[in-house]
Amino acid sequence: MKSYFDINGDGGSNVVGQVVAKREQIARSLAGVKHMLAIGSGKGGVGKSTLTMQLAHALRAAGATVGILDADLNGPSQARLAGLGATPLLPGREGLVMPRTASGIGVVSMGLIVPESKSLDFESFAEGDSFVWRATKEFTLLGDFLAGVAWGELDYLLVDLPPGAERTVQYAEFLGSQTAVVLVTIPSDLSRGVVSRSIAALRKAPNRLLGYIENMSGYACSGCRSIRPLFPHSTAIDLGIPCLGEVPFDPDLAAACDRGEALPEDAAGMAWQAIRGVADRVHSTVEGS
Amino acid sequence: MKFLCVLCDQPMKLLEVAPPDRGTLSVVYECPECAHRIAMLTNPFETQMVTSLGVQIGPGGEQSESKCPFSGMVQGASAPADDTLPWSGKALERLERVPEFVRPMARTGIERYARENGFREIDEQVLDRAKSFFGM
Repeated sequence: MKSYFDINGDGGSNVVGQVVAKREQIARSLAGVKHMLAIGSGKGGVGKSTLTMQLAHALRAAGATVGILDADLNGPSQARLAGLGATPLLPGREGLVMPRTASGIGVVSMGLIVPESKSLDFESFAEGDSFVWRATKEFTLLGDFLAGVAWGELDYLLVDLPPGAERTVQYAEFLGSQTAVVLVTIPSDLSRGVVSRSIAALRKAPNRLLGYIENMSGYACSGCRSIRPLFPHSTAIDLGIPCLGEVPFDPDLAAACDRGEALPEDAAGMAWQAIRGVADRVHSTVEGS
Repeated sequence: MKFLCVLCDQPMKLLEVAPPDRGTLSVVYECPECAHRIAMLTNPFETQMVTSLGVQIGPGGEQSESKCPFSGMVQGASAPADDTLPWSGKALERLERVPEFVRPMARTGIERYARENGFREIDEQVLDRAKSFFGM
């Protein structure tokens, strides 16, 4: 009797062919993207999304064309950070037209589709046990975004990853080897420990690990124009990858994020200067590769 | 998943996928030798697993999108209401190129724009005008 491997093809639905076709569609859609950067951490609440948007602003200010894909499907924040709450979604010639900020940063986020008052729910034929299929569904959704948006010509597509060390590496693998990864931590042993775990996991992935950003690296006091300590500084855990910059916590930045605005390009602003420095290092690193 | 006719030692061919029923799926296979038929019946959980992969089950696979029982069920939520505006073929082609879960919202938004601006049909010109109007 024939075994599975004696029979060519699948059960008749060409599932493998469909998956390959989807991958090819994603590749066509991203053909004009020069650099893909995934911004992750492993640790939640360290400012991945905020830094993603601010890094986009800094790259844009330096003349780059930038798009953001909010891959945190369950906790999307890029629509709010971009101030794009009520933006219509329009079908263009090559796919979904990317909504843009006033400065021209393209932003695609579930936050444009699902109101903040609602959670992301999928229609399900099965009642309960969504933990079995939900992750698969989310990657399918992410693939639909990648394939169905008119990304156009971009110097940078920044992908804002969800929290979780295992999710970080899963998303990096899904995005493929052309996507480099930047990790975000805060200066605490707790956070650096989790990020260290993400680094260990990412070393097995095909993605290039560009380095890490230390966020909330002190408190930017606008009164005395100095950076004051915010956390007891951690030196015990060596992350073993380049530090791309240290960004202080700035209340003005937090307020701008809530308003969906960019941090004013204040040359004296310590947070903005730090973010510009990160953008310069990211740019020189990827362009030098 | 493949099916083998044990008597003929031949792989069975997928014949048809019956319309979904309460989250279940009936996929009919036939042996090309003896014409014996079987049906694979999935439970709602199995149906959900396949749906989550974003693939379509049925003869022709990627060519059978409009007949796919999975997408048909998903698209049920976006079935046009009676008061929707007609769309030209080219405009519909554009709509088909955006992610499926975005289409209901895109459709609603563009039709609202069209009504507010006196258009009676959605065509490519309306889509391009909306794009300019919203500064995109």
